[in-house]
Amino acid sequence: MSVDEGTDSLVRAALGGDREAFGSLVERNWNRLVRLARSVVGELEAEDAVQDGLVAAWGRLATLAQPERFDAWVSRIVFRRCLRASRRQRGRVSLEAVPETATTCDPEVSLSAWQLLSRLAPQQRAVLHLTVVEGMTDAEIAPLLAITPASVRSHRRRARESVTRLLQGGKP
Amino acid sequence: MIAKEPTDQLLSFEDDLRDWGARPPRTPASVARTRVTARLPLAREPIPWLRLAASAALVVVLVVATWLGAPRAGREGTAFVHGESPPPVDPNVVVWVVDTRTTVYFVLGADGFAKGGMS
Repeated sequence: MSVDEGTDSLVRAALGGDREAFGSLVERNWNRLVRLARSVVGELEAEDAVQDGLVAAWGRLATLAQPERFDAWVSRIVFRRCLRASRRQRGRVSLEAVPETATTCDPEVSLSAWQLLSRLAPQQRAVLHLTVVEGMTDAEIAPLLAITPASVRSHRRRARESVTRLLQGGKP
Repeated sequence: MIAKEPTDQLLSFEDDLRDWGARPPRTPASVARTRVTARLPLAREPIPWLRLAASAALVVVLVVATWLGAPRAGREGTAFVHGESPPPVDPNVVVWVVDTRTTVYFVLGADGFAKGGMS
Protein backbone atom coordinates (compact mmCIF):
# COMPACT_ATOMS: atom_id res chain seq x y z
CA MET A 1 0.00 0.00 0.00
CA SER A 2 1.42 3.33 -0.95
CA VAL A 3 1.75 5.93 1.76
CA ASP A 4 -0.06 9.02 0.64
CA GLU A 5 1.71 12.26 1.32
CA GLY A 6 -1.47 13.99 2.47
CA THR A 7 -2.54 11.25 4.86
CA ASP A 8 -0.01 12.31 7.43
CA SER A 9 -1.21 15.90 7.59
CA LEU A 10 -4.88 14.88 7.57
CA VAL A 11 -4.30 12.52 10.49
CA ARG A 12 -2.49 15.25 12.43
CA ALA A 13 -5.36 17.66 11.77
CA ALA A 14 -7.89 15.02 12.83
CA LEU A 15 -5.86 14.46 16.00
CA GLY A 16 -6.39 18.12 16.75
CA GLY A 17 -10.15 17.59 16.52
CA ASP A 18 -10.64 18.51 12.85
CA ARG A 19 -13.65 16.41 11.86
CA GLU A 20 -13.48 17.50 8.22
CA ALA A 21 -9.93 16.22 7.98
CA PHE A 22 -11.13 12.90 9.33
CA GLY A 23 -13.98 13.06 6.81
CA SER A 24 -11.40 13.32 4.03
CA LEU A 25 -9.67 10.22 5.38
CA VAL A 26 -13.03 8.43 5.41
CA GLU A 27 -13.69 9.41 1.80
CA ARG A 28 -10.25 8.29 0.67
CA ASN A 29 -10.49 4.88 2.34
CA TRP A 30 -14.19 4.10 2.01
CA ASN A 31 -14.20 2.10 -1.25
CA ARG A 32 -11.18 0.02 -0.32
CA LEU A 33 -12.51 -0.76 3.16
CA VAL A 34 -15.99 -1.69 1.92
CA ARG A 35 -14.50 -4.00 -0.69
CA LEU A 36 -12.50 -5.76 2.03
CA ALA A 37 -15.46 -5.92 4.44
CA ARG A 38 -17.74 -7.27 1.72
CA SER A 39 -15.40 -10.19 1.11
CA VAL A 40 -15.31 -11.01 4.83
CA VAL A 41 -18.92 -10.45 5.96
CA GLY A 42 -20.87 -10.17 2.72
CA GLU A 43 -22.86 -7.41 1.12
CA LEU A 44 -25.43 -6.87 3.85
CA GLU A 45 -23.18 -6.09 6.80
CA ALA A 46 -20.12 -4.68 5.05
CA GLU A 47 -20.96 -0.99 5.05
CA ASP A 48 -22.20 -1.04 8.66
CA ALA A 49 -19.01 -2.76 9.77
CA VAL A 50 -16.89 -0.15 7.99
CA GLN A 51 -18.87 2.76 9.41
CA ASP A 52 -18.58 1.34 12.94
CA GLY A 53 -14.88 0.77 12.42
CA LEU A 54 -14.31 4.33 11.24
CA VAL A 55 -16.17 5.80 14.21
CA ALA A 56 -14.10 3.60 16.53
CA ALA A 57 -10.94 4.74 14.73
CA TRP A 58 -11.80 8.38 15.44
CA GLY A 59 -12.01 7.56 19.14
CA ARG A 60 -8.65 5.80 19.14
CA LEU A 61 -6.78 8.16 16.86
CA ALA A 62 -4.49 9.25 19.69
CA THR A 63 -3.11 5.70 19.90
CA LEU A 64 -1.92 5.75 16.29
CA ALA A 65 1.84 5.92 16.63
CA GLN A 66 2.63 6.52 12.95
CA PRO A 67 0.10 8.84 11.26
CA GLU A 68 1.45 7.91 7.83
CA ARG A 69 0.33 4.33 8.51
CA PHE A 70 -3.30 5.35 8.96
CA ASP A 71 -4.55 3.24 6.02
CA ALA A 72 -3.17 -0.01 7.40
CA TRP A 73 -4.20 0.91 10.96
CA VAL A 74 -7.81 1.64 10.03
CA SER A 75 -7.92 -1.54 7.92
CA ARG A 76 -6.99 -3.57 11.00
CA ILE A 77 -9.78 -1.93 13.00
CA VAL A 78 -12.33 -2.60 10.27
CA PHE A 79 -11.08 -6.16 9.79
CA ARG A 80 -11.49 -6.87 13.51
CA ARG A 81 -15.07 -5.54 13.30
CA CYS A 82 -15.67 -7.84 10.36
CA LEU A 83 -14.30 -10.82 12.28
CA ARG A 84 -16.75 -10.08 15.10
CA ALA A 85 -19.63 -9.71 12.65
CA SER A 86 -18.58 -12.92 10.96
CA ARG A 87 -18.66 -14.81 14.26
CA ARG A 88 -22.18 -13.49 14.89
CA GLN A 89 -23.23 -14.61 11.43
CA ARG A 90 -21.88 -18.13 11.85
CA GLY A 91 -24.71 -20.57 12.05
CA ARG A 92 -27.27 -17.77 11.83
CA VAL A 93 -27.37 -17.21 8.09
CA SER A 94 -27.62 -20.07 5.69
CA LEU A 95 -25.86 -19.81 2.38
CA GLU A 96 -29.08 -19.51 0.43
CA ALA A 97 -30.31 -16.73 2.69
CA VAL A 98 -27.51 -14.36 1.72
CA PRO A 99 -29.03 -11.98 -0.78
CA GLU A 100 -26.79 -10.58 -3.44
CA THR A 101 -28.30 -7.48 -4.94
CA ALA A 102 -25.43 -6.55 -7.18
CA THR A 103 -26.60 -5.02 -10.39
CA THR A 104 -23.28 -4.12 -11.90
CA CYS A 105 -22.29 -7.65 -12.84
CA ASP A 106 -23.77 -11.02 -13.62
CA PRO A 107 -25.76 -12.16 -10.53
CA GLU A 108 -24.76 -15.79 -11.14
CA VAL A 109 -21.14 -14.78 -11.01
CA SER A 110 -21.74 -12.81 -7.79
CA LEU A 111 -23.53 -15.69 -6.18
CA SER A 112 -20.91 -18.25 -7.03
CA ALA A 113 -18.05 -16.03 -5.91
CA TRP A 114 -19.63 -15.18 -2.55
CA GLN A 115 -21.03 -18.70 -2.15
CA LEU A 116 -17.55 -20.12 -2.31
CA LEU A 117 -15.90 -17.31 -0.38
CA SER A 118 -18.39 -17.56 2.47
CA ARG A 119 -17.41 -21.20 3.03
CA LEU A 120 -13.87 -20.17 3.96
CA ALA A 121 -12.54 -18.92 7.29
CA PRO A 122 -12.74 -15.09 7.58
CA GLN A 123 -8.94 -14.70 7.54
CA GLN A 124 -8.74 -16.79 4.37
CA ARG A 125 -11.45 -14.66 2.73
CA ALA A 126 -9.53 -11.50 3.59
CA VAL A 127 -6.20 -12.84 2.30
CA LEU A 128 -7.79 -14.08 -0.91
CA HIS A 129 -9.55 -10.75 -1.42
CA LEU A 130 -6.43 -8.67 -0.84
CA THR A 131 -4.39 -10.94 -3.13
CA VAL A 132 -6.85 -11.42 -5.97
CA VAL A 133 -8.99 -8.28 -5.93
CA GLU A 134 -6.54 -5.69 -4.61
CA GLY A 135 -3.42 -7.30 -6.07
CA MET A 136 -1.41 -6.77 -2.90
CA THR A 137 1.81 -8.53 -1.94
CA ASP A 138 2.25 -10.62 1.21
CA ALA A 139 4.34 -7.87 2.77
CA GLU A 140 1.52 -5.37 2.15
CA ILE A 141 -1.23 -7.70 3.38
CA ALA A 142 0.49 -8.73 6.62
CA PRO A 143 0.23 -5.39 8.50
CA LEU A 144 -3.37 -4.92 7.38
CA LEU A 145 -4.46 -8.14 9.03
CA ALA A 146 -1.91 -7.99 11.88
CA ILE A 147 -0.32 -11.30 10.86
CA THR A 148 3.06 -12.29 9.45
CA PRO A 149 3.78 -12.69 5.72
CA ALA A 150 4.25 -16.42 6.38
CA SER A 151 0.71 -16.56 7.82
CA VAL A 152 -0.56 -14.72 4.76
CA ARG A 153 0.95 -17.41 2.53
CA SER A 154 -0.45 -20.15 4.73
CA HIS A 155 -3.98 -18.66 4.72
CA ARG A 156 -3.88 -18.22 0.96
CA ARG A 157 -2.66 -21.75 0.34
CA ARG A 158 -5.39 -23.21 2.54
CA ALA A 159 -8.01 -20.94 0.96
CA ARG A 160 -7.07 -22.11 -2.52
CA GLU A 161 -7.07 -25.75 -1.41
CA SER A 162 -10.54 -25.30 0.09
CA VAL A 163 -11.89 -23.56 -3.00
CA THR A 164 -10.49 -26.31 -5.22
CA ARG A 165 -12.14 -28.96 -3.04
CA LEU A 166 -15.43 -27.06 -3.11
CA LEU A 167 -15.27 -26.69 -6.86
CA GLN A 168 -14.78 -30.42 -7.14
CA GLY A 169 -17.89 -30.98 -5.06
CA GLY A 170 -16.19 -31.66 -1.75
CA LYS A 171 -16.17 -29.94 1.62
CA PRO A 172 -13.86 -26.99 2.39
CA MET B 1 -5.90 -35.32 -4.43
CA ILE B 2 -5.51 -31.58 -4.78
CA ALA B 3 -3.53 -30.23 -7.66
CA LYS B 4 -0.46 -28.26 -6.67
CA GLU B 5 -0.94 -25.75 -9.45
CA PRO B 6 -4.14 -23.68 -9.55
CA THR B 7 -6.64 -25.48 -11.69
CA ASP B 8 -8.62 -23.85 -14.49
CA GLN B 9 -11.60 -23.93 -12.15
CA LEU B 10 -9.67 -22.08 -9.50
CA LEU B 11 -8.47 -19.49 -12.00
CA SER B 12 -12.04 -19.07 -13.19
CA PHE B 13 -13.19 -18.61 -9.59
CA GLU B 14 -10.52 -15.98 -9.00
CA ASP B 15 -11.67 -14.13 -12.12
CA ASP B 16 -15.23 -14.19 -10.76
CA LEU B 17 -13.99 -13.04 -7.38
CA ARG B 18 -12.10 -10.18 -9.00
CA ASP B 19 -15.26 -9.01 -10.77
CA TRP B 20 -17.44 -9.47 -7.68
CA GLY B 21 -14.96 -7.96 -5.25
CA ALA B 22 -14.08 -4.92 -7.33
CA ARG B 23 -17.64 -3.58 -7.54
CA PRO B 24 -18.04 -0.12 -6.03
CA PRO B 25 -19.88 0.11 -2.68
CA ARG B 26 -23.60 0.83 -2.73
CA THR B 27 -23.00 4.00 -0.74
CA PRO B 28 -20.71 6.50 -2.49
CA ALA B 29 -17.67 7.68 -0.57
CA SER B 30 -18.94 11.26 -0.34
CA VAL B 31 -22.20 10.11 1.28
CA ALA B 32 -20.32 7.80 3.62
CA ARG B 33 -18.12 10.73 4.64
CA THR B 34 -21.18 12.73 5.71
CA ARG B 35 -22.70 9.77 7.57
CA VAL B 36 -19.52 8.90 9.43
CA THR B 37 -18.65 12.45 10.43
CA ALA B 38 -22.22 12.90 11.72
CA ARG B 39 -21.66 9.90 13.99
CA LEU B 40 -18.37 11.10 15.44
CA PRO B 41 -18.64 11.91 19.14
CA LEU B 42 -17.71 15.48 20.05
CA ALA B 43 -15.00 14.43 22.45
CA ARG B 44 -12.54 11.69 21.57
CA GLU B 45 -11.86 8.89 23.98
CA PRO B 46 -9.20 10.20 26.37
CA ILE B 47 -5.85 8.49 26.15
CA PRO B 48 -4.94 6.34 29.21
CA TRP B 49 -2.61 8.78 30.97
CA LEU B 50 -5.23 11.51 30.70
CA ARG B 51 -7.79 9.18 32.26
CA LEU B 52 -5.34 8.40 35.07
CA ALA B 53 -4.67 12.10 35.71
CA ALA B 54 -8.41 12.81 35.75
CA SER B 55 -8.96 10.03 38.32
CA ALA B 56 -6.18 11.39 40.52
CA ALA B 57 -7.63 14.92 40.33
CA LEU B 58 -11.06 13.58 41.27
CA VAL B 59 -9.64 11.83 44.35
CA VAL B 60 -7.92 15.07 45.43
CA VAL B 61 -11.16 17.05 45.00
CA LEU B 62 -13.11 14.47 47.02
CA VAL B 63 -10.56 14.51 49.85
CA VAL B 64 -10.58 18.33 50.01
CA ALA B 65 -14.38 18.46 49.83
CA THR B 66 -14.68 15.91 52.65
CA TRP B 67 -12.22 17.86 54.78
CA LEU B 68 -13.99 21.19 54.19
CA GLY B 69 -17.42 19.70 54.82
CA ALA B 70 -16.57 17.91 58.05
CA PRO B 71 -17.99 19.50 61.28
CA ARG B 72 -15.24 20.94 63.40
CA ALA B 73 -15.03 22.47 66.88
CA GLY B 74 -15.74 26.20 66.95
CA ARG B 75 -18.16 26.08 64.08
CA GLU B 76 -21.92 26.14 63.82
CA GLY B 77 -23.77 23.94 66.28
CA THR B 78 -21.09 23.68 68.94
CA ALA B 79 -23.09 25.85 71.33
CA PHE B 80 -24.55 22.76 72.97
CA VAL B 81 -21.14 21.39 73.72
CA HIS B 82 -19.35 24.47 74.88
CA GLY B 83 -20.86 27.38 76.73
CA GLU B 84 -24.62 27.52 76.23
CA SER B 85 -26.97 24.97 77.75
CA PRO B 86 -29.20 22.83 75.61
CA PRO B 87 -32.80 24.02 75.40
CA PRO B 88 -34.74 23.17 78.56
CA VAL B 89 -36.72 19.96 78.29
CA ASP B 90 -38.92 17.92 80.58
CA PRO B 91 -37.30 15.11 82.55
CA ASN B 92 -39.20 12.55 80.48
CA VAL B 93 -37.74 13.87 77.25
CA VAL B 94 -34.58 12.50 75.72
CA VAL B 95 -32.81 14.80 73.31
CA TRP B 96 -30.66 13.26 70.57
CA VAL B 97 -28.57 15.74 68.69
CA VAL B 98 -27.86 14.02 65.37
CA ASP B 99 -25.95 16.96 63.94
CA THR B 100 -25.95 20.73 64.08
CA ARG B 101 -29.23 20.95 62.20
CA THR B 102 -31.04 17.84 63.39
CA THR B 103 -32.28 17.27 66.90
CA VAL B 104 -34.59 14.38 67.73
CA TYR B 105 -36.77 14.50 70.87
CA PHE B 106 -37.95 11.22 72.40
CA VAL B 107 -40.82 11.71 74.84
CA LEU B 108 -41.05 8.93 77.41
CA GLY B 109 -44.27 8.10 79.22
CA ALA B 110 -47.64 6.44 79.08
CA ASP B 111 -49.34 9.47 77.56
CA GLY B 112 -47.48 9.18 74.33
CA PHE B 113 -48.40 5.53 73.93
CA ALA B 114 -51.99 6.17 74.93
CA LYS B 115 -52.34 8.89 72.36
CA GLY B 116 -50.50 6.86 69.78
CA GLY B 117 -48.59 9.91 68.74
CA MET B 118 -45.01 10.58 67.90
CA SER B 119 -42.84 13.45 68.88
